[in-house]
Amino acid sequence: MTTFLAQRSARRALLGAAAAAALAAPLTPALAGKADDTLTFAFEQEVEALNFYQSTSRDGVILSRLIWDTLIWRDPYTGDYKPLLATSWTWVDNVTIDFELREGVTFHNGETFDADDVVFTFNYFPSPEAKTKSQQTVSWIKGAEKLGDYKVRLHLKNPFPAALEFLASPLPIYPDEYMAEVGQDGMEKNPIGTGPYKVANVVRGETIEFVKNDGYFPNDAKGAPQIGKLVMRTLPDKNTQLAELMTGGIDWMWKVEVDQAEGLRSMPDLTVVDAETMRIGYLGFDAAGTSGDHPLTNVKVRQALSHAIDRQAIVDNLFPGGARVVNSACFPEQFGCEQDVTAYDHDPEKARALLAEAGFPDGFDMTLDVYRNREMAEAMIGDLAKVGVDATMNYGKYAAIRDAVRSGGSQAGYLTWGSNSIGDISASTSVFFKGGADDIYQDPEVTEWLTTGDTSTDPEVRKDVYSKALKKIAAEAYWLPLWSYPYTYAFTSDLDFTPTSDEIPHFALARWK
Amino acid sequence: MLGFLLKRAALALAVAVTVSIISFLLLRASGDIAVAVAGEGATEADIEAIRIQFGFDRPLIVQYFEWAGNALTGDLGQSVYFRVPVVELIGERMPVTMGLGALALVFAVALSIPLGVAAALRPNSIIDRLSLWIAVLGQAMPSFWFALLLMLVMGVWWRWLPISGAGGFDHYIMPAIALGYYATPAIMRLTRAGMIEVLESDYIRTAHAKGLGTGKVLFKHALRNAVIPVVSLAAVQFGFMLSGSIVIESIFALPGVGHLAWISLQRSDFTVVQGIVLMLSVIYILMALVADLFNAWLDPRIRVA
Amino acid sequence: MTDMQAAPAASPTAPAPGPGKVPGKAPAGPWARMRRRSLRHGGVMFGAIVLLGFIAMAFLAPLLAPHDPLSQSLSTRLIDPFWGAKPHPDHLLGTDQLGRDYLSRMIYGARISLTIGLVAMVISGVIGTAMGVAAGYFGGRIDHFVTFVVTTRLSMPVILVALAVVAVAGSSLTVVVLVLGFLLWDRFAVVMRSATRQVRDHEYVAAAQALGMPVSRIVMSEILPNVLGALIVVATLEMAHAILLEAALSFLGLGVQPPTPSWGLMVSEGRKAMFFKPWLIAIPGAALFVLVLAINLLGDGLRDVMAPEGRS
Repeated sequence: MTTFLAQRSARRALLGAAAAAALAAPLTPALAGKADDTLTFAFEQEVEALNFYQSTSRDGVILSRLIWDTLIWRDPYTGDYKPLLATSWTWVDNVTIDFELREGVTFHNGETFDADDVVFTFNYFPSPEAKTKSQQTVSWIKGAEKLGDYKVRLHLKNPFPAALEFLASPLPIYPDEYMAEVGQDGMEKNPIGTGPYKVANVVRGETIEFVKNDGYFPNDAKGAPQIGKLVMRTLPDKNTQLAELMTGGIDWMWKVEVDQAEGLRSMPDLTVVDAETMRIGYLGFDAAGTSGDHPLTNVKVRQALSHAIDRQAIVDNLFPGGARVVNSACFPEQFGCEQDVTAYDHDPEKARALLAEAGFPDGFDMTLDVYRNREMAEAMIGDLAKVGVDATMNYGKYAAIRDAVRSGGSQAGYLTWGSNSIGDISASTSVFFKGGADDIYQDPEVTEWLTTGDTSTDPEVRKDVYSKALKKIAAEAYWLPLWSYPYTYAFTSDLDFTPTSDEIPHFALARWK
Repeated sequence: MLGFLLKRAALALAVAVTVSIISFLLLRASGDIAVAVAGEGATEADIEAIRIQFGFDRPLIVQYFEWAGNALTGDLGQSVYFRVPVVELIGERMPVTMGLGALALVFAVALSIPLGVAAALRPNSIIDRLSLWIAVLGQAMPSFWFALLLMLVMGVWWRWLPISGAGGFDHYIMPAIALGYYATPAIMRLTRAGMIEVLESDYIRTAHAKGLGTGKVLFKHALRNAVIPVVSLAAVQFGFMLSGSIVIESIFALPGVGHLAWISLQRSDFTVVQGIVLMLSVIYILMALVADLFNAWLDPRIRVA
Repeated sequence: MTDMQAAPAASPTAPAPGPGKVPGKAPAGPWARMRRRSLRHGGVMFGAIVLLGFIAMAFLAPLLAPHDPLSQSLSTRLIDPFWGAKPHPDHLLGTDQLGRDYLSRMIYGARISLTIGLVAMVISGVIGTAMGVAAGYFGGRIDHFVTFVVTTRLSMPVILVALAVVAVAGSSLTVVVLVLGFLLWDRFAVVMRSATRQVRDHEYVAAAQALGMPVSRIVMSEILPNVLGALIVVATLEMAHAILLEAALSFLGLGVQPPTPSWGLMVSEGRKAMFFKPWLIAIPGAALFVLVLAINLLGDGLRDVMAPEGRS
C-alpha cells in the first residue's frame, strides 16, 4: 500500500509540476478485469464520506457493505433476516431487543469484535455530539447496554416495527477502541470495519480501492469474498461510463439508459441485465392549492391528467426493460401496498371529457417540476398537450424541487422515491401522506389511517388501514403513481453478478466465472 | 513605475473584493441550502440540525464577513457535502486543472505560433489564408461537441487514447486538444501581426542587408520579438482555460477544479463553488497583473496610460 | 486593462459626410468602398451567405419544416437518417429519442440560436458601448470606474458564473438570454473605449463642443457614427460567442429547457446514444459549428474590409 501511495503521489506531482515534463513518461493504466482479479466499477457521484455515519448517499450504503457489517443481514435474494455479527436476537418487549454476538471476529486493524463495539455504536451515533448526518437512521434508538462480553441489549424509544430492517442496513458496527483513538475524522481517513473488503487506497474524486479481507469470518450470510481487488471509479457522466465499459476501462456499470442498453446488448463480451428496485416514480399534484388557486385543486382535473398520460407506452419505450406501471402510492411488494385501487388507464377521450366537466374544455397552462429523467417528463408533457393541457417543464436540482414541493411552490412535480430500500409501506406512503414535512395534502382521514398502521404491530390491522388510505389517495388522484424503476446493469461477461431489488449492488457476493 | 505598480495592485485588490461579494451573494440566493445538503432521505430534524451546524440561520452580512475574513487567512470554509475544508478539496484537484491548462496552452501555442509565422512570411498568400482557416475552425468548434467527437473517434473507434480519468499523461491529450483549440486563433493572429510588424522593421532589414540567412533572421531576431506580446496573451488565455475546464473536465471525468465546481453546483455545495469562483478570479487577476506589468516593462508608453 | 483578442479598433474613417450629399466622386465614399471590398472578400461573402441562409431558415421554419418539431411518437423513435441503415422517407434526418422529426427540430433550432445570439448581443452591445463610450469620451474618474468594472467582469469565470446564475434563477430561454447579455459586454466596452478615445480628439468633436452642443448629441452624431465599424466587428464576434455559450449551457442542462429544440440541448440529449447512433450529436453539432464559423468569418472579414489600407 505504501509503495502504491508513493507511486500515486509521484504520478500526481508529475502531472502537477508541468505537463511538458510528463511527456517523457507516459503511464498506461493497469489492465482491469478477470485476468488480474480486479473488478472496476463506476459510480456517478463521489461518496460524500467513507465514514458511513456522515453520509446519506446510496453509494455510501453500497460501500459500507464492503467495509463494515451489521448485526443482522437481510438476504437480498429472499428477503429473510439472517445472523451476521449477531448470532441470534430476541424481542424482550416491544421496545427492547437482546442480541447474542458472534465470537472470533476481528476488525481490519486486529481489534477484537465484542459487546463494547456494539454498545459504543448504538450509544454514540444517536447522540447529538456524533452529528450523525441521517438522523432518521438513529433517532429511534434510546441506547444499548452490555449484558456480557458477547451479549447486548438494545433499547428503543418507542415501538418501531421497522427496527430489524434498520439494523440490517444503515447501522454498521464500528470498533470502539479505534474510534476512541482516532475519532470520526480518523475513520474517514482510514476506515476500519469487520467487512469482507478493506480500503486500500483513496484518491478523492477519482478512485477508491478495496482489497479482499482474507481473514473475513465464516458466515452463512455474506459468505466469503471472492474477488481479490475492487476499484470504484467516479465517472459522473453515463456516457463516459459507457465508453469505458466498451473499451475495457471499467467492468461494471448500472443505471444504463434505454438507448445505451440496446447497443450494449449486441456486444458479445458484455452481459446486460434488468432488475427491479423499490424505487417508484410519481406525479404529485398540488391538490390542496398550497401553490395558489389553479385547476389542479379540482379532482376531475387531476383524474383527467391521470387518464391523459400513457404510462404503458413510456414504460415500453423509454425503459430498457423490467419496468411496470404502478397504481398505488407505494412499491407493490412493500408490506401493506394494496393493489386494488382506482387505476387510471390511458384514455385521452375520457381525459378531455373530464376536463370539460371541470370547466376547462380548452385545457389550461401548468408547470411541471422535474429533477431527473427529462425524456420521460417530456413524453408526459407531450401526452398532456394532446388533451390541451400546456405543461411547462421546470427542471431543477432535487433539493430545489423538493423544497418547492414542501413549501407549496409547485403545481405538479415528477418525483421518485426509493423508500430507502425498506420493504414496508411506512417507508413510502407514510412519508408523504401522514402529515409530515413532505405531506402537502394534510388529509386528516389518510393521516389517521397511516398513523394507526405505522404504530400497530398487528399485520391485519395494518393491512386494513393502509388499504383504506391507498384507496382514498388513488380516488382523489393526489398522486399519479407512474412506474417502478428497474435498473439496468451492464458488465463484463466474465463476471458472475446477480442484481437485487434493494438498489444495492453486492460486490462482496460477486465472483468471476 | 512604482506609481503604476501601486495603481495596478490597488485595482487588482478592489476587483478581488468585488468578486468575493458577488460570488458570495450569487450562491446564497439559491433555495434552502440545508435541504440540499441533507439529501434525499432527510427529515425536517436533519435539515434543521444542518442549518444550525453551518450557521445558515444567521444574517447574510454576518456570514459574508466571517467568510471573507477567513478567506484572507486561507480558510474558505467547509464543504457542506464532504465536510472537509474547501481549501483542501481545491488543493487536491488544482494540479489536475493546472496540468490540463498547461498542456492545452502548450497545444495552442505549438499549433498557432508556427501557423502565425508561416502566415506572416507570405501575407495574403494561400498559406496565410489556410492557417487563418485552421485557427478560425477552432474558434467556431463548440468545445463540448469537439470533446465528444474526440472521445468517439480516438477513444472508442480507434482506441488510441484512454477515455476518461486522470491516470497518466495520455489521459490529458484529448482534453487538452479540446480545450486548447479554442485559444489558437487569438494567439495565431497576434503572432502573425507581430511578425509582420517586426519583419518590416528597420533592424530586420538591416540584418538582411548584413547578409544574415533567412532562417537565422527569422528565429533569432524576428520571432523572439514578435512572441513577447504573445506571452502576456497566453498568460491571460490560461486564466480563460481554467474557466473552460468546467465543461471539458466533466466530459472526460478529470478530477480537477472545474469538475469539482460543476458537481458542487449540482449538489448546492455552495461553499465549494464560492471558493472556486474566488480562486479562479484571483488567479486571473494575478495573471492579468503580471501581464500588465510585463507589458509596461517592455513598453514604457503604457505606464502613463 | 489587458485587451485580449483585441478586435483592433478600426481607425475612424473620414468625418461623416453631411446629410444628403456625398462629396467628391461617386465611389470614394467609405461605405461604397467597404461594399466593394466586401464583395471581393471570401470570408465576408461566405459568412454573409451562410448567415443569411440560417436567418431565412429561422424565419421560414414553419414553411420549411416537414413536421411539428414538438410532436412526439414513442413508437417511431430513433429512426436513422437517410444515409443510415433503416431510413424512413418521412424523416430525412431521422427522429430523436421521443420520435420527433430531427430535420424539423434542426430547422426550428436555428430560431433559438439566432434569437439568443442576437438578443444577447444587443443587450451586451448596449451595456458595453455605453460604458466604453463614456469611459473613452470623459476619461478621468469615469474611465477608472469603467476599467474597474470591466476588470471585475473579466476576472470572473464566465461559464461558472453563468451556470451559477442559471442554477439560482431557474433555467429558461429568457434567463439564458439575460445572463449572456449581462455577461458578454466586456469586449464591447474595451473596444468602444479605445475607439472613442481616438475619435474624441478630432477637430470636429472639439468644434461641436465649442459650439456648446450637448454631450448626448455629440455622442450620437459625432462619436457613434465614427466607431460604428469597430462596433459591428465586435457585435458579430460576440454574437458567435453567445451562441456557443448558450449551446454549452444547454448541453450541461442549465440552458434552454426541453422540449425547445436548441442545438446544444439536442447534442446533450443525443449523447446518451452517440456511440451507437453518432448522427444524433453530429448533426446539431455541425449546424452550430457552421453557424458560428460563418458569423466569425463575417466578423473577421469586416475587420479586414474596414481597415483603412487593406490587410497587413
